[in-house]
Amino acid sequence: MRPPTSLKKEFLKKWIMGLQLCSSSKKEMSFLERKKAIKLSADVAMASARNATTRWSRALISNASKDDSNKGLVECILGPESESLKRASMSLVLCNKRNRSKKISRKSCSIRRARKSSSQMVMASSIAKRLVKKRTQVLKSLVPGGGSMSEFSLIEETLDYILSLRAQVDVMRHLANVTELLNRK
Amino acid sequence: MMNMASPEMLHCLSTSGNVAGNGTDMTVLERQRVRMKWQQEQFQQQQQQQSYFGGSEFSMFSMGGQVGQAQQFHGLINGDSAALGDLLGRAVKADPGLENVWPEFGKLTMPGTGFNVENAGFECSGILNCSGFEMNHTTSRTSSCPLAAAEAKVRESVLPEKIASAVGRESFKKRKADTVQSPKVVAEEETKDKRIKGCAEDGESKITVANNNNNKNSTTTTTTTATTTTTTNNNNGETSADTSKENSKVSEVQKPDYIHVRARRGQATDSHSLAERVRREKISERMKYLQDLVPGCNKITGKAGMLDEIINYVQSLQRQVEFLSMKLAAVNPRLDFNVDNFLAKEVFPACAANFPTIGMSSEMTNPSYLHYNPIQQVATCGVEMGINPADIGLRRSISAPVSIPDTFLDSCFTQIQPSSTWDADLQNLYGAEFHQGRLMSFPSQAAFTGPIDASNLKMEM
Repeated sequence: MRPPTSLKKEFLKKWIMGLQLCSSSKKEMSFLERKKAIKLSADVAMASARNATTRWSRALISNASKDDSNKGLVECILGPESESLKRASMSLVLCNKRNRSKKISRKSCSIRRARKSSSQMVMASSIAKRLVKKRTQVLKSLVPGGGSMSEFSLIEETLDYILSLRAQVDVMRHLANVTELLNRK
Repeated sequence: MMNMASPEMLHCLSTSGNVAGNGTDMTVLERQRVRMKWQQEQFQQQQQQQSYFGGSEFSMFSMGGQVGQAQQFHGLINGDSAALGDLLGRAVKADPGLENVWPEFGKLTMPGTGFNVENAGFECSGILNCSGFEMNHTTSRTSSCPLAAAEAKVRESVLPEKIASAVGRESFKKRKADTVQSPKVVAEEETKDKRIKGCAEDGESKITVANNNNNKNSTTTTTTTATTTTTTNNNNGETSADTSKENSKVSEVQKPDYIHVRARRGQATDSHSLAERVRREKISERMKYLQDLVPGCNKITGKAGMLDEIINYVQSLQRQVEFLSMKLAAVNPRLDFNVDNFLAKEVFPACAANFPTIGMSSEMTNPSYLHYNPIQQVATCGVEMGINPADIGLRRSISAPVSIPDTFLDSCFTQIQPSSTWDADLQNLYGAEFHQGRLMSFPSQAAFTGPIDASNLKMEM
């Protein structure tokens, strides 16, 4: 696993780049706009720090670049690798569509099958399975691009995502503290 | 009356209470049961025996050692009905000659246990009759039967566990010889624990018929817990094995270019269950990493619970990002961060030593910094570059691998556990560094030369 410090540095670099781009482009921005720009650049920077090695990062980038207004920012942050990354993220989107249709057909079949088992033992285990399934679904909704992952890859992606989020939160917090301190001075 | 009752009672107790070996050691509940049965029997016979009341009572009375028995009876009564004391008092009064022998009964404090006065009355009369020795014997025997059965149940449920544990231990050893995969020792031990439980279940079901329902309940509960835990791969395999009755000790799956898996003893060996087992083990491994990452997950062992914690954690992190971006937006009216870069170096002087990266000169690794904040700096230094010999001693205090080649850093994070724990440790250390509030107190170092280029960020954190 990449060490957290290099991850943070990369993230910070790219984030500051994106922020400066934002600030240079527009002179007056409302609070919400600013917040959005900050968050967006942070997320994209985070994702690009992974260099599209993880699915969640690719999904994040693809989601961000869907919106035309953000495209420029995304490209800038991503830098030279943007083209290849974009292609990778596009393919991911297509994969998602295929998987979704598969899942729908699978679900309709499994519903018919599920009615058979009714003994007590199986009931208890099926309740547990249902719980786990519900939670995996929620987790899939949380992790970007999680809809098309198998259970195993979902866990791996969550691991990476948690690490990146933590790094992101740390850097942002310190930056916020610094700016606060500076403002007080 | 009482005197006659007491040896009988004790006899009854001793016959039924063979387990304890001493009538007084029987639990209150058992004594109550005995008395209940006894009452019911005595009630039927009380009329016949009333007539003999006066005669033999004194003969019994003359038997020695009444006081000790009285005390034992005392204990009995204390556990039993509340009204009995009154009745005894009444009985004592009815025969004033006996008052001397049972002085304590007047002082008895009765715990209320909801006994009917009627019942107690019957009971008293039953106790008072004397000629029905043999009757009492028989009744005591019959009354003791259900008690004995209950006792037997209690004992027998204890035994199968011991037997099963012995069996489990044997299979323990056999399994240790069988299994090949050494890195999964932890998982194996856990699965072995579950196996012992499974053996215990089997043992119980074989022995008592009366406990059938209980056993079924226990098996269902254990299987439900088994399915929810991630480390109970073997248990699931076991249940499938029981149904399929396959007893293959070791079977090697020969699949070219595939992962070689060995089925453990008593498990199904078809490819589906094996593949499932491999998949489950992989997932449980990942969950273990997640357990280390997510704080507070050490106590939770179920998959659903773990997922819940993970979801909460991810949500909280995402919310934190939102909040921090809002805060930054509020603090920065113009979204300019150039100034930060310049001043941050003053504010984060300690970080300078931590980032020996692009263009960083060796002056940055000021030994005074190392002194001030040795461990964190050392950790981060060691992470980045080669090892500064001065740092090695400090770094040993952390449970992280000492030399970290760059290739390792770039490798896939599906590595062995130490990497994830190491990351977590570093994260913690890194975070702790800033929470110390040294931002204010640290003297600003003027050792920072070089151009502060926005694009060539030397922002040290």
